Amino acid sequence: MDIIESKTWVEWLITIGKFAFCFVPVLYILLLIPMERRGAGFMQDRQGPNRSYIKIPYFGKIRLLGYVQNMCDGTKLFFKEMFAPKGANKFLYYVAPAIPFAIVFLSPCVIPWFGPMVFEWGGKTVRIAGSIVDSDVGVLLLFGLSSLSAYGAVLAGWASKSKYSFLGALRTSSMTISYEVCLGLSMMGILLLAGSFNLTDIVNWQEHHVWGIVAQPVAFFCFLIASIAETGRAPFDVAEGEPELVAGYHTEYGAMQFGLFYMGEYSHICINSFLIATLFLGGYSVPFVTTETMQAHMGGSLAILFGVLAFLALAFLHLIYRYSAKLAKRAQSNKMEILQEYKLYKLIAWVAVVVFVALGACAWLFYNPANFVVNGFAVGSLATAVGTALIHLLVLVVKSVFFCWVWIWVRWTLPRFRYDHVMHLGWKIILNIALINLVVTAVIAKLVGGN
Amino acid sequence: MIVLDHRGKRQSLMPLNVGPSHPATHGCLRFLTALDGETIVASVEEIGYLHRGFEKMVERGTWQQVVPYTDRLNYCSAIMNNIAYCRAVENMFGVEITERCKVLRVIVNELSRINDHFVCVAAAFQDLGGTTPFMYAFNPREEIMCIWEKLTGARLTNSYSRIGGLARDSYDGFEQDVLAALDSTEKALKDLHACLDRNRIFLDRTVGIGKISAEKAISYGWTGPCLRACGVASDLRKDEPYYDYETYDWEVVVGTQGDCNDRLQVRLAEIEESMKIVRQALKRLTPGPIDIVDPRIRVPSHKLAYQDMEGLIGRFKSVYEGIRVPEGEYYCGSECANGELGFTIISGGSGHPYRIKVRPPCLTQFAAFHELVEGGQLADSMAVLSGLNIIAGELDR
Repeated sequence: MDIIESKTWVEWLITIGKFAFCFVPVLYILLLIPMERRGAGFMQDRQGPNRSYIKIPYFGKIRLLGYVQNMCDGTKLFFKEMFAPKGANKFLYYVAPAIPFAIVFLSPCVIPWFGPMVFEWGGKTVRIAGSIVDSDVGVLLLFGLSSLSAYGAVLAGWASKSKYSFLGALRTSSMTISYEVCLGLSMMGILLLAGSFNLTDIVNWQEHHVWGIVAQPVAFFCFLIASIAETGRAPFDVAEGEPELVAGYHTEYGAMQFGLFYMGEYSHICINSFLIATLFLGGYSVPFVTTETMQAHMGGSLAILFGVLAFLALAFLHLIYRYSAKLAKRAQSNKMEILQEYKLYKLIAWVAVVVFVALGACAWLFYNPANFVVNGFAVGSLATAVGTALIHLLVLVVKSVFFCWVWIWVRWTLPRFRYDHVMHLGWKIILNIALINLVVTAVIAKLVGGN
Repeated sequence: MIVLDHRGKRQSLMPLNVGPSHPATHGCLRFLTALDGETIVASVEEIGYLHRGFEKMVERGTWQQVVPYTDRLNYCSAIMNNIAYCRAVENMFGVEITERCKVLRVIVNELSRINDHFVCVAAAFQDLGGTTPFMYAFNPREEIMCIWEKLTGARLTNSYSRIGGLARDSYDGFEQDVLAALDSTEKALKDLHACLDRNRIFLDRTVGIGKISAEKAISYGWTGPCLRACGVASDLRKDEPYYDYETYDWEVVVGTQGDCNDRLQVRLAEIEESMKIVRQALKRLTPGPIDIVDPRIRVPSHKLAYQDMEGLIGRFKSVYEGIRVPEGEYYCGSECANGELGFTIISGGSGHPYRIKVRPPCLTQFAAFHELVEGGQLADSMAVLSGLNIIAGELDR
């Protein structure tokens, strides 16, 4: 009871509300799958999936720029029959796909989504950490969790009773272990500079000094390569190398079991991009602006935020209008259908522009924390804290989406490594570079900064 | 699987069956491997999964009716097979086809070669995990396919050639379409070279993989781009020229060490040579007759059949009895995309072939497959397989 009473209800609300961040990787899957498919189409001079549609009144067939295809695929996977090959270890076979997916919900707990919220509430200063678990060994916990997902692949490969799956499982386990080492070592430099394992402290250090990518450029590239390898995506997808191993460890899986592996992979990408953004790109911190400055000019900051959103909506509108004009000139049989569909997007985007502009103007003109009083209770400080958190979150999302795109970019650019080349790269090149980087960083840090 | 190696030492190997239904065995190929870890210690290839009895089937029809069957040999360049077969029969007759037919055959031959090489290189990329170059290679291929649609009415199994001529003349705007296709081919080649020439991952996976010496390749009976990759400048278009190939300005491309990378690079370079030939041939394309005017070889046109007694008889006889090829045994090989496609033809003088034996270029190359992969990694075998361009259609017939 003491614990419960030691905090006010607002504190409890926010603390519990933070658990919603567990679902961020799952949301990212929804973002990443269409991004990957259309991104692949973009890079390969083709359209990508864009034919599935939902029919609604007036606007007709709505394809959501190809997004409906992913819903269809998800539905298909969901309703397909689940089966296990003869002779497979049934229990492990069914449990294995759940492991990587379960970790998806655990991994986000240590990532700081926003700076610590500090606000006055009922005469007391309340401080709420930006991550779900504000742990002093945050990074280690994250690594521990994310390397657990290798168990899923290993068990799946072993339990399937197929040689292809088995070879895939062997490859994936050795690769995950090797690159886990590289990942840890390349990260040590920035930990050394920040002097903490706590991710919030690391972001804080970057906010007040320089971003990790500037302080540790070599480590950044090592980390990027190692984390691409750790997710087991192309060009490091030897574990599911299609030509030789059919589909690697998930050869025998179908239906949603396969879907779970698939989603596990995508959310692993999400977690790793958040990690890179946090360690090397200043995490939630806004470039060139400290949190204190931002909070001092909260109204202006929010106005800029909404302005940026309005600009994005306008850019989207520009694309839609330009394409509609091009389409109108073409002799395409389904032209009218598409133009009708675009009316919906135009409507939504115009509404968004108006709303964002209005919100921005309101924030600019009327934001004054001192005036915010509800039932005689000053909430201005809370409003500023929430506003800061929102901006932080958005900045972090933008940074991580950029890294997600890097994953897709790399995948559709490079051919696949051979298994022994991957090992060679990991143990003989990246590991050594990371070690040298660590030693050099340590020496320089000692010479320049004392401890 | 416990085996004894040649020194009598016990070895524990894992047998792995690759194919016939496997993502990398395009068509239906199969090879059994014995793996030590990931290294292939022994490999045995097995053929016959796509056996359709080509050689028996063709004995039932007339000579002209063989043409659609030849489409299914190397289905990536169907027209080349048509032409190779028709050339063999025409040589038995000892007739010379018309000038326009020759030039048109050269053009479609070389376009098919471009097509086939693109498929091979694209598939090789796909097997090495590069999906984007695959698409880059397929864009110009699509344009050539559209030309096929307009020219022959079909995309894959064209059956364009006939003994003594072609199924139909080219259409209006054929030259422009071909030139446009060549332009996009050039662009795709540039993209492909950008993707593979200096890509460390790609080079690591192909240079020195699946190496074979020129002597060994010849002893296996290799022909075509795979043999040329070993450094042997052997090309039937130069060695035993036909269709005036010797008068065009082009080079035989040879590789240096006969590895996987050489085989792919030779193919890409051959696309460039083929483009040269097509450009020159387009300039030589003058209006004129397509078919031989001889009712004993080429079926007379409808106009002749309706207005002329001899035409009607000729049409009747060549449709119902088939053309009568002179008695005898004859072999004729043509340089197809994969190598020498030869037809050994035995004719009894009747309207039906007595026996047609195909010499597919793939068979000899696939026969050497185990030598190329043994000692390498499992992943290498895929690079080798797609680099050889084994087409199950002509391998198994």
